[in-house]
Amino acid sequence: MTALIRYSFATLLHSQRYLAPVLLFAGLIGILTVNGSGSLPPAYAASAGALFVSQTWLTSALAGLDDPTQRAVVVLSAGRGARVLAATVGTALLAAGALAVVGLLFPLWIGSYQVGAADLLLGAEAQLTCALAGTAIGLLCSRLVFRRQGYALATALALVLGLLFVQGLPPVNRLFHLMSETSDAAALLAPAAGMAAVSAVLLAASACLTHHLAARRD
Amino acid sequence: MQTQSVGKRYGRGPWVLEDVTVHVPAGEIVAFHGRNGSGKSTLLRLLAGLSRPSRGTVTGRPAVVGYVPDRFRPPERLTALGYLTHLGRIRGLTTPDARRRARVLIDRLAVAGGPHAELRTLSKGNAQKVALSQALLVQPELLVLDEPWSGLDTSAHGVLAEVMAEVAAAGGSVVFTGHGESARTAVAGRAHLVAGGRLHPYGHESPREQRQVTELVLQRPGAPSELPASGDSSRVPPPPPWSRSPGVLTVTDHGADLVLAVVCAEADAVLLAALRDGWSALSVTRRTAPATTAPAPGPPSPPATTAAPERRTDRPAGASRAPAPPSRREGGRR
Repeated sequence: MTALIRYSFATLLHSQRYLAPVLLFAGLIGILTVNGSGSLPPAYAASAGALFVSQTWLTSALAGLDDPTQRAVVVLSAGRGARVLAATVGTALLAAGALAVVGLLFPLWIGSYQVGAADLLLGAEAQLTCALAGTAIGLLCSRLVFRRQGYALATALALVLGLLFVQGLPPVNRLFHLMSETSDAAALLAPAAGMAAVSAVLLAASACLTHHLAARRD
Repeated sequence: MQTQSVGKRYGRGPWVLEDVTVHVPAGEIVAFHGRNGSGKSTLLRLLAGLSRPSRGTVTGRPAVVGYVPDRFRPPERLTALGYLTHLGRIRGLTTPDARRRARVLIDRLAVAGGPHAELRTLSKGNAQKVALSQALLVQPELLVLDEPWSGLDTSAHGVLAEVMAEVAAAGGSVVFTGHGESARTAVAGRAHLVAGGRLHPYGHESPREQRQVTELVLQRPGAPSELPASGDSSRVPPPPPWSRSPGVLTVTDHGADLVLAVVCAEADAVLLAALRDGWSALSVTRRTAPATTAPAPGPPSPPATTAAPERRTDRPAGASRAPAPPSRREGGRR
């Protein structure tokens, strides 16, 4: 698995396809959290939202990097297609981890917030929730499932906007709604963990569906 | 390894393969021939386990499968060595082992540019060599080669045949596709013809085609057009390496000239290798092999027109393989 993740990272870095989603992320957290003050949860909701959108794009790009014939070579080298898909998910989540650290620290550096341990923990949960949900959508809207990029993009956009803006829809919108309304981070830790769990289930379902659809195409 | 009444269709499309039962024993080399789009590649994908049959079963597939795709599109920016090292690690080798094995294979297959050439800079033939290398990083128990000869130079043909023989000798199975004589001259123990989505015994496809050979008359580099009268045949160098490549049936040395009889599909490759080596082509002639009787001529007609239909009907699918029209002897020496 380590070898597959190393390979994925190498191809991602060499292809430079990571650049656009990372720039989008940087731009979004800059706009959404600069010069903020007061309680931290709303700022962390914004930076988690930036991660959600960027992570969808990044995962979709990562999953579609290899040409189908090259993917066939990698699948036979690894022994099983599921292992290659798992490595894609692993690589995407590792990349999200790096972005999440920036998402957690940038608001502290650029704004003047009241920081507590509970705030940081809630922020981390929010980042995790959005990383998992973004990976779930990105995987499903990749070249593995969609032959044509236009359809993949339209589907991804619909799903991302749906999760962001449909009132009360878990995990993303519901979590952001909670975070924007309260300044007591400690009270939100449990519900946020629940949302992260929902996201994890979403990712598992998306990976299974992607694997099934990709295999059916072969 | 065995397929039992395997059929394949994509979605609700037409059946690409129907009722294919084939036995691929360990230690054997099995060839699948057929025209473009006959379903050869699909059959190989089924055998490799890349694709699931819509009907029937594939049983007894070994664990370690090496696969050389038809069109190889690796990540462009990696170097040959880097790419092979990554794939070696994915196959379970340690980094030093993977690197060592990759270097050995790059050397053996003579990848131009060496280990540090970026994959995007490689020509089709060299990319094909990298594709072959990745399939051999770990000794495969099943080696699946889709059109492995395409793009390879004649010197690599020999290595490819050696590699296939080695895998078979180690108890592995080798399956490959081709659509011409190049594949026939290889070491295949069994051959099948894929046509219309079904499997047929190979050998009855076109007996006419198999009797055709191309005669190449080549002049040594630096030799004057007229051989000096003095008999210094002791200075004649040994036959060049391409004259021993697969497909060459006979080699006749006439001092300054070399006359080769080559199976038609290989003639282009041999000629190209010779030209690269500095040799000159004096004539290229397609003729029927002397061992068999020539096909009965058609109705009487002028000599100039008997040759033309002869050539046209020759190889409908591979017309480009015929390097020159027949009866070029009159071209003479340059």
